[in-house]
Amino acid sequence: MSTERALATAGAALLAGAAAAAQEIPPLPPPGSDLPHVVLVSVGGEIATGCETPLELAGCESGGETFAPETWTRDLPDLGLVARIRTEDLRAFSRADGGAAPEHWFGLANRLRQLADESAVDGVVVTHGAAGVADTAFFLNLVLPTRKPVVLVAAQRPWSAVSGDGPLNLYDALRVAADPAAVGKGVLVVANQEVHAARDARRTSPYRMDGFGSVDLGPIGVADPDVVRFFTEPTRRHTHRSEFELAALPESLPAVEIVAAVPDAPGRLIDASVAAGAKGLVVDGAAGLSGGQREALRRARDQGILVVATSATRGGRVPETAALRDSGIIPGDNLTPTKARTLLQLALAITTDPAEVRRFFAEY
Amino acid sequence: MPGIRAAALAAFLLPAAAPAQELPVVKLFTTGGTIQSLGKDRLKLAEYREGRIDGATIVEAVPEASRIARIEVEAISAVSSTRMGAEQGLPLARQLTEELARPEVAGAVVTHGTTTLEETAYFLHLTVRTTKPIVVIGSMRPWTAVSRDGPLNFLGAVRTVLTPEAAGKGVLVLLNDTIHSARFVTKRHTYHIETFVSPDVGPLGFADADRVVLYRSPVTRHTADTEFDLDGIEELPQVDVVYGYQEASRAPIDALVKEGAKGIILADGSPAYGNAVLEARAAGVVVVQGSRKGSGRVVLSDRTAARGEITADNLHPQKARILLRLALTRTTDARELQRIFNEY
Repeated sequence: MSTERALATAGAALLAGAAAAAQEIPPLPPPGSDLPHVVLVSVGGEIATGCETPLELAGCESGGETFAPETWTRDLPDLGLVARIRTEDLRAFSRADGGAAPEHWFGLANRLRQLADESAVDGVVVTHGAAGVADTAFFLNLVLPTRKPVVLVAAQRPWSAVSGDGPLNLYDALRVAADPAAVGKGVLVVANQEVHAARDARRTSPYRMDGFGSVDLGPIGVADPDVVRFFTEPTRRHTHRSEFELAALPESLPAVEIVAAVPDAPGRLIDASVAAGAKGLVVDGAAGLSGGQREALRRARDQGILVVATSATRGGRVPETAALRDSGIIPGDNLTPTKARTLLQLALAITTDPAEVRRFFAEY
Repeated sequence: MPGIRAAALAAFLLPAAAPAQELPVVKLFTTGGTIQSLGKDRLKLAEYREGRIDGATIVEAVPEASRIARIEVEAISAVSSTRMGAEQGLPLARQLTEELARPEVAGAVVTHGTTTLEETAYFLHLTVRTTKPIVVIGSMRPWTAVSRDGPLNFLGAVRTVLTPEAAGKGVLVLLNDTIHSARFVTKRHTYHIETFVSPDVGPLGFADADRVVLYRSPVTRHTADTEFDLDGIEELPQVDVVYGYQEASRAPIDALVKEGAKGIILADGSPAYGNAVLEARAAGVVVVQGSRKGSGRVVLSDRTAARGEITADNLHPQKARILLRLALTRTTDARELQRIFNEY
């Protein structure tokens, strides 16, 4: 079956469901009503991918392809009940497995900033591959100077999948982006009827429906069938309260590598990273560093390389202990290694002062 | 007595002692519970007499707290949390309001038994008009037990009160290093140390060894932003919870209506409740639909809203009861009551 046919089948199934309940679905509001304006930006991802058959749940086995964003509004006319939607196709920014490739992060951020600055735009939804959505969201959370809702959305299953989560996630993301209560809460990630703050969102399963969580904390709100409801808001600095200026940042951020602490590892990965030009290192699991790794880190720090430690327990902060302080390692709070890397890259783009970098990790 | 040695706690990064008169005042209100309990021996983890340990003993056991704050102790009661209610809650809320108005007072810590801790905490969250931190603590293990959690919970609470970011976040609940909002927290285990959780949302922050961190701020209304006023209120309207289960009879609802209850919280339902609820409403009793599931909101539908039904959002039935008691001091209008359930 061709991808186009599979998509048509999936779309028909969605529409058949809609037709069965046609009496209960109110007609689309006429143009010119006061629905909020939301721009729906596609960077691809599972949510924008059609596979050959509907039972390909964990990615397309036999090849599939991403489709243009108009497919969503065609398959799900109900989206028009939530907002006036303008689509924008930024699939050129995506990498092979879907979602924005870091080399396109600045391109994406600059375009999103333009969109958010348009006075007619109330919010932006960005579709993304599930694997990288939390990391892209955190980057945007640090550099986008806007109070308007920017909502990243992903799906665990391809759009063509039976019982796919894409349609509801997309619908919920639009509702959140259109909700005045979402203003000023930073970049958000919507999946599985939950609203997560970008800083804390993580993918917690490669394919389950409850595949996203905010480990240690929790979602800040829900996209329930009746309403979008926020319960809390993040206190760490973000978006309009961030000091990272998008226009002032170099598009090529300083190199930062992630090294896992391994009790019997020699330090050569650390030495190699430094030799290759790393300006910073993230050590995942500082407590478990081998003697060889500790020595290599000492050599790195002697050359002015900044080192941040994250916790390999995947929950909990790295406490600032005397031992950590003495070794000059900066605690990475409760960030994942990849998010700590992003923050350290941005930090190193504007300072090499360890005290400043330490402050960034306490405030963002 | 199992001695927690000062040295063990001195590992915390506490500032050098300042002259006592210059330290901020932290009020310690004690109500009883496991944190103030006495067991026969160190291994009696679940068998003990509550309320036998007074506030001064707690303060003395954790000298590190007195290095950062001047602790003033006030005993409200010395009972198990199942005996707590408006009788203690009303005077506690009034005393907190009064004491926190003193400029030298930085905030307050309240000890409480754990079973109904979330109910008193939510009551204070809804009634004490202040932006200063109020931290409610308990302990899962008796004061006399090995590996007791009480002293560290107390020190964590004092450190939290003195954390500037804790201001304006409403009433906080702290056990096991974890800081919860009174709005969301609940007890999820009968005796483990890891017992208090905030389903649906998670905690606000942590009192970690190196510092107190608050990652979240509640956006529901509370404390300084509350519309509830205890002035002139001597008692609160009777509201009870009726549990739903298979084949549940309508007898509890009928009995409560007859007894004069002003409100009923349904924790899920039963077919037999249908007519009983209609009759209760006709008799002027406010019925709120809650859930026994422990997580998730009761979703509003157009149909139920048109019938004047009120839903409890994601408040657990025991907390929906607290809110309805306070709400009924202001209104019996269904739409107004639903607004209150949406906002608090």
